[in-house]
Amino acid sequence: MDELELLKKDWQKDNIDYPKLTREDIFPMLLKKSSSIVKVLLYISIAELILWVSISVAPMFLSEDINTKLNLDNVYNNFNLIITIIGITIVIAFVYLLYKSYKSISVTDNSKKLMENILKTRLVVKQYVGFNLVLIAISTVYEMSSLFKTNSDFTNEINGAAADGEIFKYYAVIILVVLVIILSLAVLFLVYWLMYGILLKRLNRNYKELKKLEIRSSID
Amino acid sequence: MNKELEHNFVELLEKHQNIVHKVCRLYTNNYDAHNDLFQEITIQLWKAYPKFRGEAKFSTWMYRVGLNTAITLYRKSKRSINTQEFDLVQFKIKADDYDNTEEEQLKLMYKALHQLNDIDKALVFLYLEDKNYKEISETMGISEVNARVKMNRIKTKLRTILNP
Repeated sequence: MDELELLKKDWQKDNIDYPKLTREDIFPMLLKKSSSIVKVLLYISIAELILWVSISVAPMFLSEDINTKLNLDNVYNNFNLIITIIGITIVIAFVYLLYKSYKSISVTDNSKKLMENILKTRLVVKQYVGFNLVLIAISTVYEMSSLFKTNSDFTNEINGAAADGEIFKYYAVIILVVLVIILSLAVLFLVYWLMYGILLKRLNRNYKELKKLEIRSSID
Repeated sequence: MNKELEHNFVELLEKHQNIVHKVCRLYTNNYDAHNDLFQEITIQLWKAYPKFRGEAKFSTWMYRVGLNTAITLYRKSKRSINTQEFDLVQFKIKADDYDNTEEEQLKLMYKALHQLNDIDKALVFLYLEDKNYKEISETMGISEVNARVKMNRIKTKLRTILNP
């Protein structure tokens, strides 16, 4: 193509007035902080880790009070212990994976590999959040069911209500709780979607472009 | 030791700074954004420099880090505003050697380049820098055949932009 060859000739002439930076201009640049997306991604990951660890640790501090009220000590503590052990193991594994994944991001890799490694790091965080949600769901269901099974006052109350024909009140509460959970999940997903969507928009677009190129060329 | 490393790095960057300026020229369209990207590429180069073994030429290594920063790591700062004619105002093309038609064509070409997507720009950049398809494919992480096919498509795309 003639035009592109003309452009190439012009491009290589180095006849454009680029700013000429001196060593004195460059030295201070080395001390400035990077604002790359990898750094932002790492800060967000650490913030998420702290948030989710505190969410899973919080019930341990609150549980004593709840346990005495509901006489659930034995059942709940055994269950709680298992959940805590699993939780801590996962946190350690997650921190290790995140660190490893973050370290694998190298600006000197080829573009595709670099993008893949960044997206992999993001996936580690995603999986961790997903795991936490599953864990919270399991423990909520378990606690609710053990409440029904073991707390005789509560069962009596329900039976009483059923006899009086007022059982719908309990159903209403259960439905309300479920709705609140669904709503909080929706808000959480929206926040995630927006946060990562904005942050990784360009990266995702460019990665897709590279991937698309492979698929198209293999068809050709 | 660290001072020496720093000194060597700054000296090399000063010498080869035009490579970074060229990346910035292609990926930004105003003065502030140009400086921001230059700054970010400098930081990324400096961070990676201790691992630079000298197997590759410093300039070749700069292409990779520079492009990776531009298409992957760089986040456009908010103060960047679009000024379309920036390229023509900021860096005057010294087109003495060209006749009017060629100068006009060049202006259009540079404008067309800015309309390409990030990946296409990277390929064109390497092409303009006279890199062969092997180097282009290694830098981007795609196969040599794909690089060739893609480059042909970009040529067609540029032709369409120039002659709608």
